[in-house]
Amino acid sequence: MSSAATYSRPVRQAAKRSRELIMDDDDEARLSQDEYSDEYNSSESAATGDEDEEYTGRGSLPLVRLRVKPSPPQKPTAALNTSSFDPSGVMKGDGISRVFGRADFSYLMLKPDHASRPLWINPLDGRIILESYSPLAEQAQDFLVTIAEPVSRPSHIHEYKLTPYSLYAAVSVGLETNDIISVLNRLSKVAVPQNIIDFINSCTVSYGKVKLVLKHNRYFVESPHADTLQMLLKDSEIGPLRIEGDDYNGTSTTIVEGLVREKAPSMGELTIPGTSKGNNSAAIAESGNTGGDPHQQSVEDLFTSVVGLDREDDDDMDAVHSFEIASESVETVKKRCQEIDYPVLEEYDFRNDARNPNLDIDLKPSTQIRPYQEKSLSKMFGNGRARSGIIVLPCGAGKTLVGITAACTIKKSVIVLCTSSVSVMQWRQQFLQWCTIQPENIAVFTSENKEKFRNESGLVVSTYSMVANTRNRSHESQKMMDFLTSREWGFVILDEVHVVPAAMFRRVVTTIAAHAKLGLTATLVREDDKIDDLNFLIGPKLYEANWMDLANKGHIANVQCAEVWCPMTTEFYNEYLHETPRKRRLLYIMNPKKFQACQFLINYHEKRGDKIIVFSDNVYALQAYAQKLKKFFIYGGTPQGERMNILQNFQLNPEVNTIFLSKVGDTSIDLPEATCLIQISSHYGSRRQEAQRLGRILRAKRRNDEGFNAFFYSLVSKDTQEMYYSTKRQAFLVDQGYAFKVITHLQGMENLPDLAYATVAERRELLQSVLLQNEEAAGIENGDDADNFVGRDGGYVKSVKRAKRTMGSLSSLAGGDDMAYVEYNKSKNKEKTRNPLIKKLYYSKKK
Amino acid sequence: MPRAVKGVLVECDPSIKALIINLDSKNHNVVLADLDDEHLVIEERMVEHVKRELDSQLAENTFKPAELDDIQRK
Amino acid sequence: MSIPRFRTSINDYLEGLPEPVLIRLYYSPATCLAIFRLLPAMAQLFIMTMLFNDKPLEATDLNGWVQDGSTPKQYEALEKLRGMHLIKESQGTISLQKTFRAGLRNALTGGDHNNSFGIPCNTEDKHKVDIKFLDEHANNQWELILHFMVGTDTGKVPNNGVLSLLRHSGLMEGSAPSNMLITNAGFQFLLQDVNAQIWTLLLQYLNMSEDLQMDAVEVLHFLFMLGSLELGQDYSLVALSPTQKIMLDDLRDYGIVYQRKSSSRRFYPTRLATTLTSDTGALLTASASMDSAISQKERETGFVILETNFKVYAYTDSPLQIAVLNLFVHLKSRFVNMVAGQISRESVRKALSNGITADQIITYLTVHAHPQMRKSIPLLPPTVVDQIRLWQLEMERMKIVEGYLYSDFSSKNEYDVIAGYAHDLGVMAWEKPNKRMFFVTKEGNQQIVDFVRRKVHGGA
Repeated sequence: MSSAATYSRPVRQAAKRSRELIMDDDDEARLSQDEYSDEYNSSESAATGDEDEEYTGRGSLPLVRLRVKPSPPQKPTAALNTSSFDPSGVMKGDGISRVFGRADFSYLMLKPDHASRPLWINPLDGRIILESYSPLAEQAQDFLVTIAEPVSRPSHIHEYKLTPYSLYAAVSVGLETNDIISVLNRLSKVAVPQNIIDFINSCTVSYGKVKLVLKHNRYFVESPHADTLQMLLKDSEIGPLRIEGDDYNGTSTTIVEGLVREKAPSMGELTIPGTSKGNNSAAIAESGNTGGDPHQQSVEDLFTSVVGLDREDDDDMDAVHSFEIASESVETVKKRCQEIDYPVLEEYDFRNDARNPNLDIDLKPSTQIRPYQEKSLSKMFGNGRARSGIIVLPCGAGKTLVGITAACTIKKSVIVLCTSSVSVMQWRQQFLQWCTIQPENIAVFTSENKEKFRNESGLVVSTYSMVANTRNRSHESQKMMDFLTSREWGFVILDEVHVVPAAMFRRVVTTIAAHAKLGLTATLVREDDKIDDLNFLIGPKLYEANWMDLANKGHIANVQCAEVWCPMTTEFYNEYLHETPRKRRLLYIMNPKKFQACQFLINYHEKRGDKIIVFSDNVYALQAYAQKLKKFFIYGGTPQGERMNILQNFQLNPEVNTIFLSKVGDTSIDLPEATCLIQISSHYGSRRQEAQRLGRILRAKRRNDEGFNAFFYSLVSKDTQEMYYSTKRQAFLVDQGYAFKVITHLQGMENLPDLAYATVAERRELLQSVLLQNEEAAGIENGDDADNFVGRDGGYVKSVKRAKRTMGSLSSLAGGDDMAYVEYNKSKNKEKTRNPLIKKLYYSKKK
Repeated sequence: MPRAVKGVLVECDPSIKALIINLDSKNHNVVLADLDDEHLVIEERMVEHVKRELDSQLAENTFKPAELDDIQRK
Repeated sequence: MSIPRFRTSINDYLEGLPEPVLIRLYYSPATCLAIFRLLPAMAQLFIMTMLFNDKPLEATDLNGWVQDGSTPKQYEALEKLRGMHLIKESQGTISLQKTFRAGLRNALTGGDHNNSFGIPCNTEDKHKVDIKFLDEHANNQWELILHFMVGTDTGKVPNNGVLSLLRHSGLMEGSAPSNMLITNAGFQFLLQDVNAQIWTLLLQYLNMSEDLQMDAVEVLHFLFMLGSLELGQDYSLVALSPTQKIMLDDLRDYGIVYQRKSSSRRFYPTRLATTLTSDTGALLTASASMDSAISQKERETGFVILETNFKVYAYTDSPLQIAVLNLFVHLKSRFVNMVAGQISRESVRKALSNGITADQIITYLTVHAHPQMRKSIPLLPPTVVDQIRLWQLEMERMKIVEGYLYSDFSSKNEYDVIAGYAHDLGVMAWEKPNKRMFFVTKEGNQQIVDFVRRKVHGGA
């Protein structure tokens, strides 16, 4: 055993070196790139070929950083103290104990009624293990997603992790330290370990205690804790900045020791449009005992009896204290608070903002929002003000509607920033579809359109690059920018926040003066350090949805995921073993067996009536595959008109059922016709990209049809590095409960008529042409042309669509019978055409 | 009169075979005879070496979930 | 790796004994009763019919005792009775074997004068122990063995007798305690319930006792006697034969009996002993115990949750169950009532290289699946099951055969003749006639060499 281990070390190192080589190469490639690039090209991810390498220590090689770090954000410094943590109980010390080392927590005594409590807490790493089948699970999940990061949420047991950020987020939505500890304690089978209590205390002691609130056009530093404000007033920088103004409304306020004391803000009369009034049981910590749905009652009772959220100290909670500062002191105060570790939370008391004119915007009566959308919004508006932060929902789960509803709640001028002009048009269209805003109040600012709204308030939709790009700005653009920067915005929606580099983000956030910021994304992959930036540039994560839960409830499509193992042909493998790491990439992507698998799957799914998107990061492969199979393809270099044409054909033309997309299609294109994805090359181990690509089919139009399944195939060349990356890529989705079935053999592939590269001669020829490619061909697409995806007519046409699909299941995917791909279902359903109006009604009814 | 050579017959898939051939290419001390796509004869004393090398090379292509765990534990 | 063949039940074992040995066995009423209990219900019925009936039965009379459609069972019952020489058949009549009839009558009427049911001590034990103590003793001894098998470091090693039994039975391999490793059969063994495990070991003990020239009849008498003893009662050593006294030492190590010191004049049977024959024969085979494990009983006690992300959560505080999981799960944390871990390529490969098969892992996870898991079909996440199998396949990607490569044949004829001979011997591992090459196994090579010499000599 040990000899094997020592023997393999040099080999491992060699492979590590080869991986580093990849990194070096890529790094070089990135240096010439425009700063605006999505995450794949941002220095760490591209340089290491992988979003997390930085943390593994492998990334310690000298990297040239393109990314401009934001000025040191107040990174939570608290850490879980495990060194001093004392397993004070009697260690069981049985024989098996050794296996666990310090992770044997059997000394933590179970509570007598532990069976009715759903979770355990790991004192070493702050992980929480939750029984998701407990009657209390739903409430516990609501609570945990507020205070902890979801780590994995498959069928039965979920894991969460307490982190400084998650606790910061918890505090910012109004939870108090004691709430967190006591609810956690009541849900836990074992007493909350002391070091966890200390950790929670240390993370929450200073966060979220101080708020900066703009009301009646005056700035107030506000806190529920008078002593905190007294402490700030004693500060040599902040103290002198206090101004003594007139009492602004004279009622229900008192002045105590120089502080204004008044009733704490509450949700009060505020109703989030689209929700059913008074049924706001979402934020348990805020509403405490809720009535609501009668059949929920028993569970609520149980929850109350176990968790027992009594609010006897309500008196104290109900009051807030504040002092006023001048608007020109705001930056100074914010900066100083940050320095002394009392970061300021910004809340926008939009109902008391008389300076900024209201925007006439409301959801249409027919528009209803779904429970999880409501839940996420209740975190944002829980105290009747708008909190800034990030809402995480899977693609296809209606992030846009959440943003729109928030805008309809705030009713002030809004600016929406997205990643491409395709998205710009989609946002505009969605606003018009869901709410009452008049088209003349919507302005679009892209390289093709530079509109302004004429009223005193309105909506602007633009892209990050339009706003952040300071170079080569046309006169017209500059005028538009002046328009944007000269105004005070009530609300800014930041779409797909995970793909925007921090530097650009910073520029955007500082350029646009907005009172409330809402970031939207599908995937905040946890260990990504971008979470720091987002936390401090936008705000904490307010909500993160559970993918499986949404799929089970029919909000997003059910997807069958499969990893197809394609053996390397002997000729390709021999070359693979002797090539440089970069050329290896090209060889495993161009593996003829993979090509055949792709051809077979396209053929199979086209016959079923599926619409297929094939993804390839590698442009050489994209073109080679698409041309050989005579399919349309779109990559960065495809002209606008052609892109539009291809996409429209994919939507409308029954002859065009498969398109090939480079990574320009990873985000920001909405193709609800697509029901099958095939991935032939991807960006190393990026879990986020995998999730984004899966997201392309989660909104499949037919998702609510009975038995509907979308399909996601990842084609992987066996015995190559691609296997490593493939498993790693899946890790995030696997933790969300997705299961990737391994298909080792596509039955019937050999018999496919016109199977490509069926002869040795053809394969040799392919190999020769691959070997002739220079190393550049092995790279992924440079730059991101996602911007201006669609031509100037803005005509991302959403016309009557003829959804054509075939029902039927792949038994090899659904069942566990064997690993071969057996069923070949030729039966087709009749074509269905759905009237767009009926479609709308149908959607509304689904609530 | 036929010739007999002592050795170990290896039956494997083409990729494993390619890996063994690749191992041999350094010192030419592993492979005695290359029989066909799925068979070779190798030196008896190199069997353990070959097994170890294959194991470690295949492990290189396998992602270990623990790697992510370590990141998350950070 | 060779899988040792168990004679899977005591019944099989008994049927394999020669008639004189069996008849000697039947001199013990306790044995007669135990054997009676081990029989299928139909056979028991026949015996009861004949037991107090002095006249032989007409074979056709038996038909009247069974319902229509039970013929296969009747046949099976008679086969069993014949196999154990419990009945005599002549000219269409059937009667019970005389010794057995007397023994069983004695057992049922209490007319035993052979002390085959043990002699309770008539003096008070100064160190009297209670049932709780006995249960603990039995548990500790038995778990020590199981822990040793799964490699838990308890700081204690079972006695040499146990170790050699484990080796002899093929449950473990290795010469010294420090290098002994569980085998495939050993893992299979762990999957059985305790009663089946004990019988498995005792059968091995019987086999080994034959090699040691111990009298199988005495060994069996003692085992069957143990099954008839009363828990909590102490018994005297007076009636035990020297062989049986030696056995007592071994049985003490297994936790089947308790004896304060080996010089002590009394012993206590533990629950492991008193339940030996109390259950019907159904529990005595490994596969049957597997079946019963899968059935209702286990449904209530299933404790393992396996998730699609390969995480394992097992509701258990049993060090032994944890140790079994540790054979193929990378365990990470432990709470009083639950352990958490993950199945990984490494953890499964470790198990595979210890001789545990993918199927065994999957069976274990299925049998012990938590009730929550039983709500879904299929029970275990198919992707995880597939992956465990794929990891096994990965270990088998290279098959090797030691031997000799033949080439350079001078003619097609020469090749055909020698290759044909290799085929006849069944030692051909690979051949390619058009290249005139073949590979034969090491074992078969000498014969080929001899054959070639003869051929060449003969030809020359």
